[in-house]
Amino acid sequence: MSRKGSTNAVLLVAAVVFAATHVMADDAGQPQADPAPVNPPAAAKPSTEPTTPPPSITVIGPADAHSVLGREVRSTSGQNMGRIVDVIVDRAGAVRAAVIDFGGFLGVGSRKIVVDWNALRFGKVKGASDSISLELTQDQVKAAPEYKEGAPVVVLGASGTLQPLNLGP
Amino acid sequence: MAGPQDRHPSAQSQRGLDWFIFFLADVQTGFGPFVAVYLTTQKWTQSEIGLILSIGGIVGLIGQMPGGAIIDAARSERLVAGLAVATIGVSALAYAAWPIFPVVALAAILHAAASCVLGPVIAAISLGLVGPRAIGERLGRNARFASLGNGVAAGVMGVVGYLLSSRAVFVVSFAFAVATLLALARIRDREIDPEQAHGAVARTEPDPDATSVLHLLHRRPLVVFACTVFLLQFANAAMLPLMAGIVTERSSEGAPALIALCIIVPQAIVALISPSVGRKAQAWGRRPLLMIAFAALAVRGALFATVHDPSLLVAVQVLDGITAAVFGVMIPLIVADVAFGSGHFNLAQGVIGTATGIGASLSTVVAGTMSDHFGHGFAFMGLAAAALSGLLVVLTFMPETRLAEEP
Repeated sequence: MSRKGSTNAVLLVAAVVFAATHVMADDAGQPQADPAPVNPPAAAKPSTEPTTPPPSITVIGPADAHSVLGREVRSTSGQNMGRIVDVIVDRAGAVRAAVIDFGGFLGVGSRKIVVDWNALRFGKVKGASDSISLELTQDQVKAAPEYKEGAPVVVLGASGTLQPLNLGP
Repeated sequence: MAGPQDRHPSAQSQRGLDWFIFFLADVQTGFGPFVAVYLTTQKWTQSEIGLILSIGGIVGLIGQMPGGAIIDAARSERLVAGLAVATIGVSALAYAAWPIFPVVALAAILHAAASCVLGPVIAAISLGLVGPRAIGERLGRNARFASLGNGVAAGVMGVVGYLLSSRAVFVVSFAFAVATLLALARIRDREIDPEQAHGAVARTEPDPDATSVLHLLHRRPLVVFACTVFLLQFANAAMLPLMAGIVTERSSEGAPALIALCIIVPQAIVALISPSVGRKAQAWGRRPLLMIAFAALAVRGALFATVHDPSLLVAVQVLDGITAAVFGVMIPLIVADVAFGSGHFNLAQGVIGTATGIGASLSTVVAGTMSDHFGHGFAFMGLAAAALSGLLVVLTFMPETRLAEEP
């Protein structure tokens, strides 16, 4: 009994996928491929199943948005503040902070520190090599506690004071 | 008695070896800290970078003894060295050209495996060229050129990385690999006695006891020395990174320059004093030098725990140079003392290399944990205590291994 049920489910999924392929093929304006239905009994009643809508597509111009991982960060006065190595989001999905690999020489002595997302300015980022501005100075971030996965995250805000990350309700 | 052990290699071969070591240090520097920086700029996540570094570390650890065994089995040390350098050159190009996971992982494995061969092969070529009587002086010269190479490479690659990109660093590494091969070609292959390079002696009748691998691995000086090297690395490896992190924390503006000085000062000391370390090892014996190295390391740990002025820390790094110079010469020298006659000189180097690797990886883990839970001072004191126990091991267990002077 249960075995038969699972077989039916597989057939239904196949039908849905089949239908979705058809929709996408229509959208792309391609000629209909050989329709030869594989499972005619299941395909006969597709209206009872919700069809998967095609994904929505947003196009952003190459100068409007950029990836941040590995991007250089500089203070407003041009001091090198390191590179963004990770981004921290809260459970609501809002971006809270960026992890910056700060200081050191040839990778020796660098520290991973966390800065408030609102202290970062992205206005100058137009190409792959443009840096992000941070409204903090080297002196303000140098003594920040090192970022560690699993430990409480201490986020540096633009005012220069240390404050714990508030995860909200 | 002018036997086969008193060899007089040509000046061309000696200089070829100098430059081989110099350029090889340049090639290897590019693979050190730059890998993490470069992969970060290529949008790699920290966990992927950590995985690549771990893969390289593990291969570099388990490959030590097989690497030594390959050199012991080879008939031409030069050919083995050339193949290993070529492998590293190709790995450097692969890093620069395709920073995608499978390529970088393969390149990291190849680089680590080739490095397992290249470490011992320098000492093997040296021993094959000059023989066991002159090896101390030759090893001092080796250490000088290695640290000059490291210093020059750190400068050149720092500038290249700053002005061009961290990808360009790997192209420069490839160029240095070509220069390394050219220098290697200057060493005349027929002047390297392969038997001598393996630590074998010509015997009229075979002596299975003296040439047994098991006997070599149970030889007491080798076991004690492996423990000594383990303690050295355990006490030493985490010290500079830990200290550099503190410098970053305490002084922001000049921190990168201070850290650069903390790296360069010991290299300069090694370049200056290594040749005299090689000569003193022959005059004083090995044990006093080992004790000086451990004492310097223990004092350095204690000073890092108590000194807080960042610029004074640079001065303390002179002690790092002393420890590094002594061990840079002593590791291949004592292994040559112990393993000569066995024909397994390079396997024995692999044993010591394994102890080095285990000590170094444990050091960063343990020191990091100590520093997180009890503070930097405690961590440095712990490392200093490990150095003191190394001093005690040398004092109580380590025999003098210097070969008796021939009358």
